[in-house]
Amino acid sequence: MMSTLTIGVELAIQRFLAEECLALDEKRYRDWLAMFAEDGRYEVPVRVTREKDAEWDLSPKSRIFDDTKKTLEIRVRRLETDFAWAEQPPSRTRHHLSNIIADPGEDPGTYLVRANCLIYRSRGDQPTYDLVSAQRRDLIREDGDSFLFVHRWAAIDQSTVGSRNLSFFI
Amino acid sequence: MKLLDTMGDAIKQGRVPARIFNDPEVWELEKTKLFGKVWSFLGHESEIPQPGDYVTRYIADNNVILARDEHGEIKANLNLCRHRGNQICKAEMGNSSHFRCSYHGWVYKNSGELVGVPFLKEGYDGLLDRRKFGLVGIRADSYEGLIFGTLDPQAPTLEEYLGGFQFYLDIYLKPGPNGVEVYGPPDRWAAETDWKICAENFSGDGYHTPVAHQFGFALGYFPSSGTTHNLGWAVHIPDKGHAIGLGHTPGLPPFVGYPDALVRHMKSTLSEGQQELFAKTRTAVGTVFPNLSFLIQPFSPIPDEKGSTVRFCTMRLWHPTGAGKMEMYSWCLVPRDAEPEYKERAYEAYTLAFGQAGTFEQDDFENWTNLTRQVGTSLGRELEFPYQMGMDLTPLTDFPGPGVAVDRYVTENNFRNQWATWLNYVGAE
Repeated sequence: MMSTLTIGVELAIQRFLAEECLALDEKRYRDWLAMFAEDGRYEVPVRVTREKDAEWDLSPKSRIFDDTKKTLEIRVRRLETDFAWAEQPPSRTRHHLSNIIADPGEDPGTYLVRANCLIYRSRGDQPTYDLVSAQRRDLIREDGDSFLFVHRWAAIDQSTVGSRNLSFFI
Repeated sequence: MKLLDTMGDAIKQGRVPARIFNDPEVWELEKTKLFGKVWSFLGHESEIPQPGDYVTRYIADNNVILARDEHGEIKANLNLCRHRGNQICKAEMGNSSHFRCSYHGWVYKNSGELVGVPFLKEGYDGLLDRRKFGLVGIRADSYEGLIFGTLDPQAPTLEEYLGGFQFYLDIYLKPGPNGVEVYGPPDRWAAETDWKICAENFSGDGYHTPVAHQFGFALGYFPSSGTTHNLGWAVHIPDKGHAIGLGHTPGLPPFVGYPDALVRHMKSTLSEGQQELFAKTRTAVGTVFPNLSFLIQPFSPIPDEKGSTVRFCTMRLWHPTGAGKMEMYSWCLVPRDAEPEYKERAYEAYTLAFGQAGTFEQDDFENWTNLTRQVGTSLGRELEFPYQMGMDLTPLTDFPGPGVAVDRYVTENNFRNQWATWLNYVGAE
């Protein structure tokens, strides 16, 4: 299906998403937070292994992350202390995005952006690593010459997540 | 196992061998001698409210289907076809009156009876006795919605097993006339962590809080300070292994964090002794031996935000999958009688603090995973750790609840009883 967006808008959206990955991977958490709208939501549902014909496999209630911009700011404030042991020393993360599809949102100036996200995480001097694969569905809104996240929705593909904690963002 | 011969005396002197926290030999013993004997947590009744509802859970490495049958009875059966051993249910939850094996098509009722065998006449010549090949039943019983199962037909009753710890469990399970429900399915994740260090921590490790969760003090989360942090009680049930730490901050309103309407009901749901104790409890962190833990905590997601304090409750199962390996189940329990809006806020507080991405949870698993690796090393495994805190404390004689209680929040009395109980199982002939 052809995109209804101009190439310029497509590229601007892709750049916005890539800049977010960069901010996260470079631990520029304040820059990252500034990419969220004041009414922004950040949501990662709990996945459950169900039969094929089940009504849902992403819980309509349970969430791994269930954040507003205010609580995201709390998470960032925590990472700014010297006592966020889960990230001391910091994990090396690399967010890899692919299959980005952007469509116009319901409201003018908004876009629904779907993407695959593969996160590599290395901790300490251990040669092992975590890989978290997630499906993303973001609602973004035009803001000046860039965008803001209105709703980050990401669903992790594992129902038992293979990571000792999620001290990084999805 | 030689280690276990000397461990009993070591515990009496306030020492525990490091090796038990990451050792393949210990895990082999635990699988049969511990998890083959104890009552293990399977699920909460609110996870399977309707006939046909089921969840699949584990007792050690045994996969169990916990189902509500067509008569509304709760049944636990091994998730294993009696014909060739195939897993008959591959989902974690759902609703089904029957389970059909995808290998040769044997069909079982959700209560466990074998009702369908293809080629019963043509293949077995009608000689197979279906009554002998139902699913392997697991003895199950429940307390206030918590369903447990045991692999040991000779095990004492669940009531006897809990041995008075029910008094303390009620702080989590009876926040209103209709008890609690799970907010939704649990978070699940895997960690290279030994389940025992988690179970110990949740038996009342008040010691770690100001350091492991130091960020919480830095952000202004805690109503307790350095001077009041040691206030409270540590209680355990001797020889049963169950234990709880109750933190107390003077001046907090009774049952702080619950809606007023619930607090007014406490008189009808709790005994006088429970009311007296729970009203002044800030934090309650407890473990049903061996691996089911609870935490209740008043919490304001945005520190100091007026009127945002809720009392969230998490229930967690530290499910062992090998030596130094585990999978986590973490639920949020909410009062059934609370308004939906309160339940949502309590759940949000839980995710921010103690879900898989919870700010407090993150630091615990960082410490526990590194610890597990260190005690598995060639030198680390030879060490003993000091467990002597509170050895000379005199138990309280006027405490309102059962068990052995001491007047201190930071102490190791509970842990000595926990590991002595563990040894009674794992070291048994």
